[in-house]
Amino acid sequence: MNLTARFMSGLTPSQRLFLRRHGPVFAVYGFILILFLIGATQSERFMSVRNLTNVARQSAFLGIVALGQMLVILTAGIDLSVGSLVKLSILVSALAMNGEPANLGMAILLTLGLGLLVGLIHGFLVNEVKIAPFIVTLASLGILRGVSLSISTSPVGSASRDFIMFYVQKIGPIPVIALMFVVLLILTALLLRYTAFGKYLYAIGGNVEVARLSGVPVKRVRYGVYALCSITASITGLLWLSRMGVGDPAIGDGIELQTITAVIIGGTSLFGGRGTVIGTLGGVLLLVVMANLLVMLGVNQFVQGLIQGIIIVAAVALYKQEGD
Amino acid sequence: MSEFILEMHNISKSFAGVQALKDVSIRCRPGQVYGLVGENGAGKSTLMKILAGAYKADSGEIIYKGQLREQATAGEIIESGISIIYQELALVPEMSVAENIFLGREPRRALGVLNLKELHQRAAALLKRLGITPNTRMPISELTVAQRQLVEIAKALSQDADLIVMDEPSAILAGNELDQLFQIIESLVEQGVAIIYISHRLEEVFRIADEVTVLKDGELVDTRPIEQLDRAMLVEMMVGRPLDEIFPQTQHEQGELVLVAEDISTDTILTSASLELYAGEILGIAGMVGSGRTELARALFGADPLTGGRIRLVGVDGATWSNPAQAIQSGLVLVPEDRKAHGLFTALSVRINVTIPILRRLTRFGIVRGAEEEAVVERARERLSIVMASADQETQYLSGGNQQKVVLAKWLETDPTVVILDEPTRGVDVGAKFEIYKLMRQLNDRGIAIVMISSELPEVIGMSDRILVMNDGRIVGEVGQDEATEAGIIALATMSNSEANGQ
Repeated sequence: MNLTARFMSGLTPSQRLFLRRHGPVFAVYGFILILFLIGATQSERFMSVRNLTNVARQSAFLGIVALGQMLVILTAGIDLSVGSLVKLSILVSALAMNGEPANLGMAILLTLGLGLLVGLIHGFLVNEVKIAPFIVTLASLGILRGVSLSISTSPVGSASRDFIMFYVQKIGPIPVIALMFVVLLILTALLLRYTAFGKYLYAIGGNVEVARLSGVPVKRVRYGVYALCSITASITGLLWLSRMGVGDPAIGDGIELQTITAVIIGGTSLFGGRGTVIGTLGGVLLLVVMANLLVMLGVNQFVQGLIQGIIIVAAVALYKQEGD
Repeated sequence: MSEFILEMHNISKSFAGVQALKDVSIRCRPGQVYGLVGENGAGKSTLMKILAGAYKADSGEIIYKGQLREQATAGEIIESGISIIYQELALVPEMSVAENIFLGREPRRALGVLNLKELHQRAAALLKRLGITPNTRMPISELTVAQRQLVEIAKALSQDADLIVMDEPSAILAGNELDQLFQIIESLVEQGVAIIYISHRLEEVFRIADEVTVLKDGELVDTRPIEQLDRAMLVEMMVGRPLDEIFPQTQHEQGELVLVAEDISTDTILTSASLELYAGEILGIAGMVGSGRTELARALFGADPLTGGRIRLVGVDGATWSNPAQAIQSGLVLVPEDRKAHGLFTALSVRINVTIPILRRLTRFGIVRGAEEEAVVERARERLSIVMASADQETQYLSGGNQQKVVLAKWLETDPTVVILDEPTRGVDVGAKFEIYKLMRQLNDRGIAIVMISSELPEVIGMSDRILVMNDGRIVGEVGQDEATEAGIIALATMSNSEANGQ
């Protein structure tokens, strides 16, 4: 503690501010590094190209939705429906595509359109009917899941052949899906930093009444943010179709909690107004790498849940230390 | 036991490298009132938060009732007889008046069941001591800020405190409420309670304090008996220089008509208010707290939807608005009374606070231009002499005066034609107050019309060209600057009140 104090006193106030605000994120990345070290020394397969490719893809699957989730949480909202929407999206896209390359474009547009529609409905209920986001999206979780399972409880439809190939495509050593995630990460970071929309998200999460009185178009921003979040879920549904090749209704369960976990570990406040893309990426990587490593080391999957829980508490405890 | 109930010795405290308090010592005897004054950021609130256990001092010791106080929780400190009434009131909005007063100490029957009857009876008795009789079952969220303040005082009374700290209690009280407060303080003092009274209104300090402690920049300037001081000396001790003129005057003709409101009402107490506003003038709005002044301001700004009447800007065709965003576009801005709830993103940076209403203007091809953003913040900092560590600093770490300047800066950037100020100098020290007055005059000179709501009558009279007096949601009279007196305004307000009661 004394050491930290002495280190801190050697910095300028703005450096200190930066460290205090972002210190925990460094800790998250430090922990990821430790996981890599453990993996490299304790497991033969962990550092293999095959496994790392896998980790990169899995990060994209979780991370793309986590980005959408983060945007919503920044406004002090939440989206519990993303898992169910991934499920509905894989079914709708598989049925629409039905193995025909000719249907590819139509199926993708239809699925993204579905996401847009769901997001706008969320926005409408939050904005105009003034129902709390938690309740709106909790209802939506149930409804979308119900619709999905009434479409089918067994795999239906199928992806076209070239769409299945999308999953395994690489540019150099890097899977295209992972690159897509990286592009979305950068776009989100730019959105938050350099656009009015991005700044409005923080403002609304900071204090929605102050935002309204400052002339922020609160409703429009909310429509936008729920639409974006739902679209990330639809995109992820499409990625799952590419991976599974069929519309598997077992896909999607629990994604909402996984994304919320990643966002929280990444330092975004559940009360809104605070959070960074780099933090969310850290949260995603931490969850994915840890799950992967525990499998590699042959750890029982129930123990995985336990460890994940402990990490959430530890991460949030760390964030609570800032400020004082 | 020594003659002092409280001794704080050589207290120091710093935040993130900024020294907030340096070697400050104060002592209090029972049955005395201690004025604690100093500019914003002088360290008054920090000192009191250390006393309350909300902050831990870096060094120094606190001796309370003859014993060295070890680290204690806020609950233990209240238990020991110290009550602190903060500027930001600490009440639960959704709970009732009575529940708030006895929160955590509710009277109980056998088996721990709450005795609701006694709860409300005791709450009513306490409020009666304060000379008010509100419904004790009313949720706090339904009360005005001034009424909430009185509930806080009732809460302190209910805790049988030996030492009560009042952090700017008068900032939000008007006329007769203030007299009530002083009567309450006097009766507490007779009972042997020590009071630490923080205020920016020096008249009050002279009226009730026995001894005055002045802080400046986190350091103790001096502690003196009130008899050895006069107003000018005290001001000089606070700001470190003599202040000659409190209300800067300008000469100007009445400008063109800019805004007309006709019979406007909202879902609040506001009923059928009409007013005209001219370029370059200050229109003062006087009246008791709860008379509908804030509601009038919110109605003009479109913050509450109109249920009747209309508002228009003269000379701008079709300029109407039904929400704040449209009002801002039309050239209206509102500096709200409750800074933390309505004016400021406390957890966000100075930068975003200042630029939020004009982000669209700073945007080109969808991208907010960072350099211009910085320039806006830099201009605001210079123009209003805002003291901050950097543009990244969260506004919650700024002093009250600097927070108010941030809110003002944000609106000035929108280039408004009408500025509505709701209690612009509330919780602001003498020096910053003068700066705000000067700024208002500068705005006038640029032809900007100002609507100013204030509970401080000298301020209303000193600054306004015309004064509208409100009562019970209605505008009950207009007074010109030449004919305005405190007695006259109070008479206007209370007269209509008694009329209303007589009906």
